[in-house]
Amino acid sequence: MSIKKFINSVKESLGLDEFEKAGKKKSIKRLLEKLKSRKKILDKEPKKKLDKKEKKELKEELAIITLQIKKGEKILDELNSEDTKISKKKKGK
Amino acid sequence: MLRRIFLPSILIILGYGFFISPDFKEISAGVAIFLFGMLTLEEGFKAFSGGTLEKILEKSTDKLHKSIGFGFVATAIMQSSSLVSVLTISFIGAGLIGLTQGIGIIFGANIGTTTGAWLMAGFGLKVKISAYAMPMLVFGVILIFQKAKALKGLGYILAGLGFLFLGIHYMKDGFEAFKETIDLASFAVDGFKGLMIFIGIGVLATVVMQSSHATIVLILAALSVGQITYENALALTIGANIGTTVTAVIGSLSSNIDGKRLAGAHFIFNVITAVVAVIFMDQIISLVAGISDSIGIASDNHTLRLAVFDSFFKIMGVIMFIPFVDKLVNFLQTAIKPGKKKEEEFEGVKYLNDSVLELPATSMAALARETKHLYDNAFEIITHGLNLKRSNIISTMPLDNVIADSYSKNIVDIDDFYLHKIKGLYGEIIDFSAKAQSYMTQEDIQELYKLKLANRDIVEAVKDTKHLQKNLIKYSNSTNEHIKTQYDSIKRNLADLLRNISYITNTKEEDMILLSLSKAKLHAEQYDIVANGTVDNLIRNGLITNEMATSLMNDSSYAYDIHVNLIAMAEIIFIDSDSDLKSLSEDMVMNDEDIDLILKEKDA
Repeated sequence: MSIKKFINSVKESLGLDEFEKAGKKKSIKRLLEKLKSRKKILDKEPKKKLDKKEKKELKEELAIITLQIKKGEKILDELNSEDTKISKKKKGK
Repeated sequence: MLRRIFLPSILIILGYGFFISPDFKEISAGVAIFLFGMLTLEEGFKAFSGGTLEKILEKSTDKLHKSIGFGFVATAIMQSSSLVSVLTISFIGAGLIGLTQGIGIIFGANIGTTTGAWLMAGFGLKVKISAYAMPMLVFGVILIFQKAKALKGLGYILAGLGFLFLGIHYMKDGFEAFKETIDLASFAVDGFKGLMIFIGIGVLATVVMQSSHATIVLILAALSVGQITYENALALTIGANIGTTVTAVIGSLSSNIDGKRLAGAHFIFNVITAVVAVIFMDQIISLVAGISDSIGIASDNHTLRLAVFDSFFKIMGVIMFIPFVDKLVNFLQTAIKPGKKKEEEFEGVKYLNDSVLELPATSMAALARETKHLYDNAFEIITHGLNLKRSNIISTMPLDNVIADSYSKNIVDIDDFYLHKIKGLYGEIIDFSAKAQSYMTQEDIQELYKLKLANRDIVEAVKDTKHLQKNLIKYSNSTNEHIKTQYDSIKRNLADLLRNISYITNTKEEDMILLSLSKAKLHAEQYDIVANGTVDNLIRNGLITNEMATSLMNDSSYAYDIHVNLIAMAEIIFIDSDSDLKSLSEDMVMNDEDIDLILKEKDA
């Protein structure tokens, strides 16, 4: 067995790749939480008191945050579905 | 001159020594192998020092007691206070830690070196240490030939330890054989005179070997066979502690001002501790005897008693200095000042120096900080080039007021600014990157490449500002309201971009960083007046002349490039390496498709 293969098998048996993935999942979850709470704050902003320019800025910020949340959720879904595939594969073995 | 005489003299003396005494040859070979072992060990630990280094440092050096603990543990593991000193200087050089933390690490490292004396006295002299050395060397060398960085590093550590053990074995054997021909103990000198002479010998031996650790091992080897007296061995130990500061002073020569101050602190600490030890020598010897008796060390076991003395003497020094660390820092800051710059001189680098070069983690951190330094200069030039005030940009003042409040009535000479604050600095960053690259792995080099791109983006943004400046000043004062409005708009949009970046630099809120970056990207596309048809409209309706239209088209292109370059730079250098965004930025930051989507939603 070459050293590379040996290292890969050690990584696999210790679950180091999954550790990395779990870290990414945690990061995205934390970020999503922050984005959602920011969106809540912006949603609650009293729109009547704002002038035209401020309303435009608020609308723009909301559009960006909504898009970021969508992107984040998509990444999280992808990571979760990869996990499901791996666990199914392991059960199959 | 001294250096030219020094090396040949040492070589001649050694050669003569080898000629007249084969035992002296064995001792010297032992020292040489021991020192080579230390070098190999250092090489091994360097292989493991990248990556998480910054995080470990940040967490383990935020308080003085933690810094001392870090210095102690690092030295005890690596068995080299010189390596820890040089690493600390490079951490300071790269701006990873401050002077107070650095002093804490040096204090800890001083105590950490005593573990070497304990290992040697308690283990090295009692067992046949060479039996352990051989397998270590064999396994070590096999691993050194492997490609994987971790295995290579482990190989260097094993081989290093093997050489250390082998060196100790030769030193011990040499002294034993030496005893049969010459009794060095007959040269022992008593009293204060002896103390001073042997302190001097200790200093000299450590300066020559560049390692107090090697000197102490040599002292213990000689003491174990009775070639030196216990009192003279104590004096040699004090001398070794002074001599070791020379390594730090030499290491600091290529460092920045804080590195030099740290070497100064190391020197002051070791010399004052030595002076105190000399003054209270008799009392310390009695105390060491008391401690040794209480822990069951026999009165004739001088090697272990020397280890007790070494520990006591160093811990005493640290306890003595802890209350004065702040005063020491203040003193060093006033005593060692950066050289005054001549007016004509170009602004140089702040963080890049040879002391940070060898470790990828420190060189990368230094380069990231230097890039931020370059951006700070660029921020000043771009703001003044646009005739805006920096204080207004970073405030919450409405952007219309920001552009109304001019920086100067005269045109700012961007060329002069560029020459003094950008060109030289950029050149040094690129030069340093090329040097640092040779110590880096492929992964590090990719990271470095991104930093180089960020630097190029900054320089391009400054150059674009220069192109933009002439017409910006001209048309901002034009009587044609239409062209004036367009140039004011370019100015306002750039001020908005600079404000967004300034916000990113000052916040740790990841969602806000993401929002600011996205906003900046979106605005860059919105403000592209060529793409959004504004220029066509102005020409078609005859509101501006052909000359004005050409200028506006060119200048809006420069402004767009400034946006693109500065956003690309901010994505690289202003996302904190500890932040969640670092691993997610590529997936989360808005791409062209997202921008189109939002713009369409806006238009709808």
